[in-house]
Amino acid sequence: MARVEGFVEADNAEAIITRIEHKSRKIESLLKQYKPVEALKTALEGSPPMTRDERCKSANWIVVHRALMAIKDVEGMFASLDPEYYDILMKYLYRGLSTGDRPTCEQCLRIHEKLTERAGLGCILRCLADTVNTV
Amino acid sequence: MHVLQKHDQIVSGIDWSAKSNQIVTVSHDRNSYVWNHEGAEWVPMLVILRLNRAALCVQWSPNENKFAVGSGAKTVCICYYEQENNWWVSKLIRKKHDSSVTSVAWHPNNIFLATTSTDGKCRVFSTFIKGVDKRESKAGTSDSKFGEQIIQLDLSFSWAFGVKWSPSGNTLAYVGHNSMIYFVDDVGPSPLAQNVAFRNLPLRDVIFVSEKMVVGVGFDCNPMIFAADETGIWSFIRFLGERKISSSPSKHGSQFSEAFGKLYGQSKYGLSNDTVEPSRADGVIHENCIKYLSTTLLPSIYCYY
Repeated sequence: MARVEGFVEADNAEAIITRIEHKSRKIESLLKQYKPVEALKTALEGSPPMTRDERCKSANWIVVHRALMAIKDVEGMFASLDPEYYDILMKYLYRGLSTGDRPTCEQCLRIHEKLTERAGLGCILRCLADTVNTV
Repeated sequence: MHVLQKHDQIVSGIDWSAKSNQIVTVSHDRNSYVWNHEGAEWVPMLVILRLNRAALCVQWSPNENKFAVGSGAKTVCICYYEQENNWWVSKLIRKKHDSSVTSVAWHPNNIFLATTSTDGKCRVFSTFIKGVDKRESKAGTSDSKFGEQIIQLDLSFSWAFGVKWSPSGNTLAYVGHNSMIYFVDDVGPSPLAQNVAFRNLPLRDVIFVSEKMVVGVGFDCNPMIFAADETGIWSFIRFLGERKISSSPSKHGSQFSEAFGKLYGQSKYGLSNDTVEPSRADGVIHENCIKYLSTTLLPSIYCYY
């Protein structure tokens, strides 16, 4: 009943990190074009939860963090973000809150409030209850 | 009114058989009693379950000749009555479960049993017992022996509760502690699973009102209705209790509002105070978590904790 076969092995981690670097470049260009919501969607897409490799998770977190901090209009962001992203966004918000860094936490709290209004407590529960697919 | 007093610890499960008029109770004291109504009294008969952990849930089988008990010992006890010795015998399904069995549900064919566990999985076993069950000629049950696992559903990453079969036995529904409800059609070699996420607090139990409608109860103290449309896609329909749509949807009662107020109040942007107002959603009848739901001859009974 091992779940290991669903997880990416260490040598594949290199491939994932390369993909994340590609994503990072794309996000930088999107941010330059003042499209922070697109940037966030790109960052959240293909998030590698099915890997135990901490480097992959950290690499992806850096990318998501960059996109999150660039968001100024939270309401507008939610107007164009699809509900399928809510759960993964909540997980990254909690990762942000755990950093303890003041600007990050403030931004995460602002987004958290609006996300909870939209997605409800169920979203928070799914984030907390899932100890397998962590970010 | 009768008080049935025999268990030493919390009674964790109870079921009333409609036809044979027997009540079965299980408790954290690792025992089970079958109560028979004799004259004016309810008389208990002890059932030796052979458990070394608490019993958590119980259900009579559709033919009421067996009952299943889920326990914290990672086992399921299937009990049947032996006429010659005038006692209930317990057969254990010891394999497969990695953690406590939280809920059990019988398929209408009186042989298949679905279980949910805190290891997040839902499993279906065969509970065929020679002498108690008849061999069906249908392919589904003919070559299954007692304790054999038919299927294992690995849909949830967190604790699973509240499994039930639809009236025809074609569909299974169960809930996860991560605010999700799972529907599985065509339970068998190629099942069709649907994960439905919802915005509220997790559910604890579900019940099929009809083949295509399910009511779920749980920590929100307000039953939720789910239904399948013509294409078979399940989704949340509405709450059972009337709820006034308040202007600020994040009000969940005074404790929550205060907690959220403190959380967001930390930010230096200083949020306005209208999220901190204590309020109760109107029309909510239950004050505490609803744990179990069952129908008997009366329309329905909610048991709450």
